[in-house]
Amino acid sequence: MHLSASRRPSSWQRRDTGLTVRMLLSFGILTLLYIVFLSALLYVGLDFISITIIASVMILLQWYFSDKIVLWSSGAKIVTSDQYPRLHNVIERIIARNNLPKPKIAVINTRMPNAFATGKGKRSSVVAVTTGLLDLLDTEELEGVLAHELTHIQNRDVLVLTLASLFSTVAWYLMQFGFYSGGMGYGYGYGYGGRDRNNAGGLAIVVIVAMLTWVISFLVIRAISRYREFAADRGSAQMTGKPAKLANALMKISGNMHRMPTKDLRQAEGLNAFFIIPAASGSTIINLFSTHPPVEKRIEKLMEMEASMS
Amino acid sequence: MSFFRKIRKSIYDSKNNESMIDSEAIFSLSSATITLETRQRLKPTGRCALIVKSTSGLYFKEMKDEIQRFLGISKPDLQFDYRTAVDSYGYLWLILAGRTIEDSLAAITAVVDTIQEKGFSSQILASIFEFRPVRELENSNEKNNNAGMRYLVYNYKSNKFYPFVPFFGERSRDTENEMTIMATLQKEIPFEKDMGMWYPLWDLPF
Repeated sequence: MHLSASRRPSSWQRRDTGLTVRMLLSFGILTLLYIVFLSALLYVGLDFISITIIASVMILLQWYFSDKIVLWSSGAKIVTSDQYPRLHNVIERIIARNNLPKPKIAVINTRMPNAFATGKGKRSSVVAVTTGLLDLLDTEELEGVLAHELTHIQNRDVLVLTLASLFSTVAWYLMQFGFYSGGMGYGYGYGYGGRDRNNAGGLAIVVIVAMLTWVISFLVIRAISRYREFAADRGSAQMTGKPAKLANALMKISGNMHRMPTKDLRQAEGLNAFFIIPAASGSTIINLFSTHPPVEKRIEKLMEMEASMS
Repeated sequence: MSFFRKIRKSIYDSKNNESMIDSEAIFSLSSATITLETRQRLKPTGRCALIVKSTSGLYFKEMKDEIQRFLGISKPDLQFDYRTAVDSYGYLWLILAGRTIEDSLAAITAVVDTIQEKGFSSQILASIFEFRPVRELENSNEKNNNAGMRYLVYNYKSNKFYPFVPFFGERSRDTENEMTIMATLQKEIPFEKDMGMWYPLWDLPF
């Protein structure tokens, strides 16, 4: 549920990769644990229906503890209104106007500007922001970002994505199961003749179907995730009535502000800046795999909302 | 536009440097001003300018004289004032103050045609149009104050418009306001969507 993953990180963002590494590492370890555990179950000889059930339970457990896992892996600390009065004030203003339950508020001590929301339900959720974000944004921009995160909570996006990934994980194990048994089937095939070779062919189909399912669900999850980002932007615009502020915040966070030329047109013209072939920005393949829509697209949509409001 | 079409177009454009000015595109501004007024409460002040890189040659001087002569003749027809200025970068500014945006556009297009005929079209940099919030227009006390002005820049190299909203008296710009202008106009006029191309024009000699 990260607010923004910059595609072109600027130098001051690149310097602070600690948070990203830490979160990637902890989720990597978790995934590894899953695979080791389920492979062990497979080795012991459990049939694949019970393995599917166990995998589902594990994913639901991950969802149930998601806030704790995320807070632990990101190093976020829950803060009181005495420690961060401005942050608490802004959130209280949004929730009072929109009649929402108040989430726990956490701060991560890093210069990388970012924010995320996590938690299983509307009542036990956490909104975390980095100190970099607090320094970078003015109060109205911060309001836009926090409203975006509160919309993720309202929309139960953590649950939606956990359920979506359940499907892909099941397909993944189906695939592994197929490989495993498929290999066995082939081995027997030499001894028992035609009947088992047919069986091996059937298992190959299972593997292919599972593989396809996994690829498709992988892409679908990403599509859902991108769509939920747009939905959260829209929700933020409705809550605050100021989509331009969120757009401006996105500009700042993504480092796109630095792309705004400072050089005068008359100087730039001398450098022949206009004959550069336009870069193929936002290519389709990158779009297909990313969980966040390109910042430009989000800003464009937000500004359309702004224009239609006036 | 696909990537290959983009490449082809940019090769084509760089080869046909002399004939790439699209006079249709700039006239779309005439209807866009109505949108700006109804949706953003921004009115054109009628002030605009054509920015041309001057050269020291004789032909350029001849062309300049011809433009001055042409503007002198058409002045009563189109109802505008004009003056020229040269900025610190050595660019010639043809500053027009028309009664309506249509008059200014007609004058600018005619001047651009003259420059093209003389073979100097690659010297044309941009034209710039001034807008101000409606509320401030009624307050005539500060008519010559440049505070709160918004600009649309037309880049003749890309045939696209982009916004320029400087904070008054500062070398910084109001990006939020610029993005609002883009959102309002991008479907109506050829608009530069790449914000990396929104080059500022500081110290306007208006």
